[in-house]
Amino acid sequence: MFDAAMAVVKPEMKSYIWLQTVDGSIQQVEEEVAMFCPMICQEVLQTGLGSSKTYAISLPQRVNPAMLGLILDYCRFHQVPGHSNKERKTFDEKFIRMDTKKLCELTSAADSLQLKPLVDLTSRALARIIEGKTPEEIRETFHLPDDLTEDLCQEEKLEPLRNITDDPRIRLLNRLYARKRKELKERKKLKDVEVEEEPKDERSVEDLLSFINGADGDIKGTRANKNKKKNRRRKDHAKDISSENTNENDKELNPLPSAYHDVNFDNALEASASKHSRTQNLPAINFSPKFEFIDGDVDDDLDPAMKEELDREVEDFARRLNSDWPERMQILSLGQDRRLVPISMNSNGSTHLYTGFDQR
Amino acid sequence: MMNYFPDEVIEHIFDYVVSHSDRNALSLVCKSWYRIERCTRQRVFIGNCYSITPERLIQRFPGLKSLTLKGKPHFADFSLVPYDWGGFVHPWVEALAKSRVGLEELRLKRMVVSDESLELLSRSFTHFKSLVLVSCEGFSTDGLAAIAANCRFLRELDLQENEVEDHKGQWLSCFPDNCTSLVSLNFACLKGEVSLGALERFVARSPNLKSLKLNRSVPVDALQRIMMRAPQLSDLGIGSLVHDPESEAYIKLKNTILKCKSITSLSGFLEVAPHCLAAIYPICPNLTSLNLSYAAGIQGSALVKLIHHCVKLQRLWIMDCIGDKGLGVVATTCKDLQELRVFPSVPFGDPAAVTEKGLVAISMGCPKLHSLLYFCHQMTNAALITVAKNCPNFIRFRLCILDATKPDPDTMQPLDEGFGAIVQSCRRLRRLSLSGKLTDQVFLYIGMYAEKLEMLSIAFAGDGDKGMLYVLNGCKKLRKLEIRDCPFGDMALLTDVGKYETMRSLWMSSCEVTVGACKLLAKKMPRLNVEIFNENEQEDCSLEDGQKVEKMYLYRTLAGKRKDAPEYVWTL
Repeated sequence: MFDAAMAVVKPEMKSYIWLQTVDGSIQQVEEEVAMFCPMICQEVLQTGLGSSKTYAISLPQRVNPAMLGLILDYCRFHQVPGHSNKERKTFDEKFIRMDTKKLCELTSAADSLQLKPLVDLTSRALARIIEGKTPEEIRETFHLPDDLTEDLCQEEKLEPLRNITDDPRIRLLNRLYARKRKELKERKKLKDVEVEEEPKDERSVEDLLSFINGADGDIKGTRANKNKKKNRRRKDHAKDISSENTNENDKELNPLPSAYHDVNFDNALEASASKHSRTQNLPAINFSPKFEFIDGDVDDDLDPAMKEELDREVEDFARRLNSDWPERMQILSLGQDRRLVPISMNSNGSTHLYTGFDQR
Repeated sequence: MMNYFPDEVIEHIFDYVVSHSDRNALSLVCKSWYRIERCTRQRVFIGNCYSITPERLIQRFPGLKSLTLKGKPHFADFSLVPYDWGGFVHPWVEALAKSRVGLEELRLKRMVVSDESLELLSRSFTHFKSLVLVSCEGFSTDGLAAIAANCRFLRELDLQENEVEDHKGQWLSCFPDNCTSLVSLNFACLKGEVSLGALERFVARSPNLKSLKLNRSVPVDALQRIMMRAPQLSDLGIGSLVHDPESEAYIKLKNTILKCKSITSLSGFLEVAPHCLAAIYPICPNLTSLNLSYAAGIQGSALVKLIHHCVKLQRLWIMDCIGDKGLGVVATTCKDLQELRVFPSVPFGDPAAVTEKGLVAISMGCPKLHSLLYFCHQMTNAALITVAKNCPNFIRFRLCILDATKPDPDTMQPLDEGFGAIVQSCRRLRRLSLSGKLTDQVFLYIGMYAEKLEMLSIAFAGDGDKGMLYVLNGCKKLRKLEIRDCPFGDMALLTDVGKYETMRSLWMSSCEVTVGACKLLAKKMPRLNVEIFNENEQEDCSLEDGQKVEKMYLYRTLAGKRKDAPEYVWTL
């Protein structure tokens, strides 16, 4: 009986493939249209599914009913032989006239169905949307996070001071910077425990401050006066630079841009100053890389073993820091003015840091 | 919206973004795009070879295949930069070879290239395809022989305006017999003889050859045989077109040319007899590009007659001996013209050559013009205003009045209003070269209207510091600023120092800048290299702060001070 029924089926009757989207809806599609999608074709050949509503092919999650409708329209047109290249091109041009959001969804859906011609078409269209735009505009168009410069700035403000005179205090400060950077990296990995990290940040700042204030006690009144003069001199750009400084400048071989950390360090101090009332002590401490201690006045009270360990740590830190250097090469990529987008942050001090950075 | 895209789709989209500036923008959008862009970028442009170290570049773009590098400042073309200033390519080739990057294409401009570099280049990259050298020096035909012998997949060898030591003509013979991949070959700038037999055999076995530019040593009969074997050529540079019009060789050439249907670009004519030009008339109607900037032998009526046949030209480079009347013919004949360059035929220009009249005619007849380089003897404000009105699409406008301080000869006024009209009308202007008598007013106009200006050349212009400040403040997209013989001093240099980090470079020579100001600038901006050229006082070991700087070149860099500077270059 079954065989007899099959025998009388008319040859003109179309075959259909049943497809199910992630929301559970099922629809019936002409076989030649559906098979135009490589993913569906594979599924039919390998699993035998799709022949009935009960055994519909489950499509990937990225294909929703609206996108499936568009894709099937595309397939319906292109699987028919006989269209001229011009006709196909005209169809394609009309087809991709849609808003950016829909274009992205369509690209994603077409990719999951492995429909390469359509992925090419939509990718090219998205590329045309991107062309000529600034990074800010691209972010806005595609709702992408502004997460590149943020971390870069945070890391840069913790760059070590140049330790030309092998000052143990500068070395210790660099160690504190290194610890801070490490915490930042850990925070990136453990975003869910961000709240828990904050108290540690405050302690680090306190460590910095206690170090700075502790160092203050070691400086005699006479040297304090000298420091003040040098501070004034450094800020007064109109003054001539002595030839001695020139020679010194030529000899310096600094892998890191000093103005970078000078600015950031000053801003860090200002930020700290805004939080604490012990402001008046800060100007007495000068961490300028050009600050020189008179020979013999440096009281290096570290024992040799600890000194060696510190040197090793600084070396490790420098090596690690250099490995991050390629990220700065993005400056080379700047085809236009380099601007940092102001980021709204909880801390006023942090905002101030950006302001200082941006002024350069 | 893009957050749920798999990387492969984003990579696919990025494949269709090809311009350097767009790729740069992609890398600054967010972290994931930075990473994806880094892995997929194959073509990198570096506008200053000292702005970054090769090691950093390779680390940043491990998939690098194509590199474009520039070396010396642009004013090297005008002999303002000493020969041994720098711009050496060898450290780059060494680093690329060591890192085993799969380099396929290298384009160099104004760099010092040694035979050793070319030898290393030819042996280090298995699939090297393309070498383009523009205004380079330091190498000989021995280096070219290495490239020919070792680069078995070579597709492009393009030598433009280089200084090449020509040892012998055998370098062409070094292409192996099984080398059939060549698409483009340009040796027009070579001075010596080449092996004609090797050249003809080479052309015969290169079915994909599209562009061929010969030097003056290739005679008419060889040219004819080459054209017969390579009918597919679309870009031809004729080295020599000198022969007896009644000779068999010339008649053969004419017949061969009649069969050439695909040539759209013609250049060269380094040696030419005017009466031989008739041979090329049949291909003129198809030409879109014609470069006669080295064709000193084509003048007057012969030149005009030739241009009469070129109705489809989009690009024309000629000498000023064409005259205003000749430019009038260009204007009526070449309606599709987009780029025009008029070079001086004698070192200081022919006073009877082109003037503002020719330029006005061009602007009236060629509305599609968007790129101009014009050497002339005089210019008027009225003409510039007319040109600005007629051709508002200029992207490049380079006017070189050979008397650099000449005012408008009609009104004896500065040319401020004329250039002001250009920058006000041509809102897409990216490159501008000024000349003639100019005051600070012109810089005010530039700062106010030239929003997209990227490169500006100034000479003998301005009244004081304000002029430079107008430009630095107003031109947000400025990348290169070249200044010579202008009264800009320390105040101009030091007022907006942060601007220089957004620019590629600044050149100032014969201005009012002092050594002290340069030192101060260098100290303030450690990521700028500030170089002072102390050519005349090599004996004097110290520079006084109040001393005027004859030449100063500053550029932003991530690489710090360069180690290959000669003694007279002080990097502050």
